[in-house]
Amino acid sequence: MTDERKQPAGETGLFLYGIMPSDVEPTPDAEGVGSPPGEVTAIRQGDLAVLVSEVGLEEPIGRPADLTAYQRLLDATAAVAPVLPVRFGTVVTGEDAVDDLLDAHHDRFAAALAELEDRVQYTVHGRFAEAEFISGLLAQNPPAAALADQVRGRSEVECREERIRLGEMIAQAVELRREAENRDLVDAVGRYAVANAARPPSHELDAVNVAFLVTTDDEDEFIQAVEDFAERRRDLVRMRLLGPLAPYDFVSAHQLVD
Amino acid sequence: MTVATTTGSQSGSALERSGSGGGGLADVVETVLDKGVVIDAQVSVAVVGIQLLEINARIVIASVETYLRFAETVDRLSITPKGTKGLPDMVGDAAGAATKGKAVSGLSKAAQEISGAVVDSLGDRDADRERPRRRRDEER
Repeated sequence: MTDERKQPAGETGLFLYGIMPSDVEPTPDAEGVGSPPGEVTAIRQGDLAVLVSEVGLEEPIGRPADLTAYQRLLDATAAVAPVLPVRFGTVVTGEDAVDDLLDAHHDRFAAALAELEDRVQYTVHGRFAEAEFISGLLAQNPPAAALADQVRGRSEVECREERIRLGEMIAQAVELRREAENRDLVDAVGRYAVANAARPPSHELDAVNVAFLVTTDDEDEFIQAVEDFAERRRDLVRMRLLGPLAPYDFVSAHQLVD
Repeated sequence: MTVATTTGSQSGSALERSGSGGGGLADVVETVLDKGVVIDAQVSVAVVGIQLLEINARIVIASVETYLRFAETVDRLSITPKGTKGLPDMVGDAAGAATKGKAVSGLSKAAQEISGAVVDSLGDRDADRERPRRRRDEER
């Protein structure tokens, strides 16, 4: 961040967390971003409200605790009411700006919230067990196995080129398998979700990474289907289910950038 | 790193469950960054620290370091029975140990360094503290 954009000392802004129906209210001990944590309040206008807390404009926001506070607040809100997350780090000058925002986009926000009623996000994230994946690949892929025999027991100095080639073959195999696993996951559990969104891999050994929007009535069946999927890959993929979460991956249609 | 909010799964389940923020900082960053409604630029103001965070979240995928690390894993697999594997294996392992951990992407490394602090700050929170409640009685 460049110095000329710093604000004078003592100025504050409103950090925006999410947009929700106006009949939701934060509990008095809800903690926002900042140190000490800001008090979270709702600014209401008609049937819409925005969760906000005051932040000092010179205070760095973006520490681990800030991100965690943001997520916890939104996930807890999503558990009781529909909520549209506002991108982390959005700070406006004051209540007037919040009013303008709700004025300008009321119908879109209201429609989006109606769609999200009784729906939460789950993210399924799996990672290949490295040794198991590579063993399986070498057993099925003679060229890779031959290369493995060449490098095994020789130092990187002696066979750097071969090592890079072998590693590249493994990386390509991971990528192919990842595409197949993501397709299989959506085939296996997608029917219990109203929408799904592929997420980019976050690690070179990622096996699956997909967000699902699930109706609360279907949660148990969805979770059971994910468990079954995980069970079938028990030794190959370390599978995790994150959620219930606010619908972070299902608000892209409501972006308001000019 | 695992945190105490893991819920629900029976022991022995192949599926690991994590509630809100329970999976550690890397999960939080991955879940929330670059997501959410983006509002009109003219009503927002600049805040210190956000841009830095977004840069740190860029993910490194495949690279020569990755390839070499995969090859090191091959060294550690003892699946081919041929030949005697005493000394050469040990040399391979030593080479692996020397480079291990070097090729971590910026994000994971940073996450490992600071995640301890996050866990500490989460540990003494009541899980329900930040939960808003909905006024069903006044609804619609």
